[in-house]
Amino acid sequence: MALAVTIITAIAICFLTVLFSYRYIKKTFDSIDQVLDSVLARNTELAFEVAADNRLSKLTHKAVKIIQMNTMDISQTKQEKEIIQSFISDMSHQMKTPLSGVAMYTNLLLEGRITEAERQEFLSRVKTGTEKLQWMVDSLVKMSRLEVGAIELSPVPTGIKQTISDSISTVYSAAAKKNISIQTAYFEDVSLLHDRKWTGEAITNILENAIKYSSVGGEINISVETLPIYTKISITDYGIGIAPDEWNSIFKRFYRGRNAKGVDGAGLGLYLASQIFQKQGGYILVDSKPGKYTTFSTFLQNCKK
Amino acid sequence: MSVLKTEALKKYYGKDPNTVKALDGVDLAIQEGEFVAVVGTSGSGKSTLLHMLGGLDTPTSGKVIVGGKDISGMTDEQLTIFRRRNVGFVFQNYNLVPILNVYENIVLSIELDGNAVDKSFVDNIIETLGLSEKKNNLPNNLSGGQQQRVAIARALATKPSILLADEPTGNLDSKTSQDVLGVLKMTSAKFHQTMMMITHNEQIAQLADRVIRIEDGRIFAAEGR
Repeated sequence: MALAVTIITAIAICFLTVLFSYRYIKKTFDSIDQVLDSVLARNTELAFEVAADNRLSKLTHKAVKIIQMNTMDISQTKQEKEIIQSFISDMSHQMKTPLSGVAMYTNLLLEGRITEAERQEFLSRVKTGTEKLQWMVDSLVKMSRLEVGAIELSPVPTGIKQTISDSISTVYSAAAKKNISIQTAYFEDVSLLHDRKWTGEAITNILENAIKYSSVGGEINISVETLPIYTKISITDYGIGIAPDEWNSIFKRFYRGRNAKGVDGAGLGLYLASQIFQKQGGYILVDSKPGKYTTFSTFLQNCKK
Repeated sequence: MSVLKTEALKKYYGKDPNTVKALDGVDLAIQEGEFVAVVGTSGSGKSTLLHMLGGLDTPTSGKVIVGGKDISGMTDEQLTIFRRRNVGFVFQNYNLVPILNVYENIVLSIELDGNAVDKSFVDNIIETLGLSEKKNNLPNNLSGGQQQRVAIARALATKPSILLADEPTGNLDSKTSQDVLGVLKMTSAKFHQTMMMITHNEQIAQLADRVIRIEDGRIFAAEGR
């Protein structure tokens, strides 16, 4: 009798256990199914509590994160598209002025009823216009390649000394014309993660600016200093300087500083430079006192030992 | 889509007539993946703003919406879990546990949430932050810059969607600051994090995509690169 009761109880317990496990599993799967449905519908308003201390909540939280990542990717693609669109419209706008100048002077020259002095004047204006266009097209090609990602920078461990001296040679004649001396403080060569060609381009742009905004007979200083993660390359000139409220703007595409009026330029050099450093995991900072000095500090990653 | 949003956010301390308006109606929206610097003098309300966004303090009125969820009405317990899963903090004081080594400090908050450590991810962070050789060191054997990098690694390790940094370089000299912040910017981009950093240093604020100026509990200017 007692044995029979025990057996029946045991069977009943087994049955109940199976029943409850079955219901628990079903409930769990239903919940997971519900969470996945929300993911599919990109619905972040999930039915379950995101901030509770249980497994379903953790799962829900991860689902919400997946949806957010997805949305982020979409909006990023959209943003990139907008950047390219605004780039194209900026670009065409910027080219219009020199182009219409060239067109106007060419017409005047073709009409022919002008003095020799005028002819010379118009020809030299056409020349300036075409030079400006040439320079802009060059920069724009570089820029568009960088922006569209057509060019992959390949930052590899490379000595920085050669890169810097390449840039100095590029600007040497421009500096000599204004009798500006470029001084580099002594440093041990270090291997930094960078793409020599593009980094050289960026440093050249900064040096060209330094020369452009320095007075005749001035000086430009370059120094290199290795920190734990980055190496800092600083370029200082003692020219017109940049007011603090413009520090963030000068790296924008087509931005010209308030002090830069009357100096030739298109607002592309620093923009390109900052893009080049960013794409290599580095960055640029500026420090300046108007009328006293301007320092551009560029940072490149050290190679891991 | 904005991952962080505040609507008419207010935080008053004290009772009339001695009320201090730490935040006085702040409307802010930060996009996914954006790096925002908040600049202001001390007492301008910038730290209070960060505390509200991170669920460390509750607002007097207004909303704080993180990832589409209003956190201003959450209970303390809910907030604790919210912070653990969504927010990484980096403070001026590194707040490392002195008896745990670098690696243990970094994985501590992952283990607190009862999760398995994603080892390759953590190793990647440690490598990126240049801490591979210091993995087994105790915090007091590290320089200030290194300790702050450990704190950054710890904040990143839980894969938070937002990273909040309150004067992260306040205790570092200017060179180390530039170094640590460069790495903070690089890692937050690499691991797709949205970041808000508080600072009073204009030099450092240049690293951000956008600079927000706050004065007397209100936003009065925003500018971007």
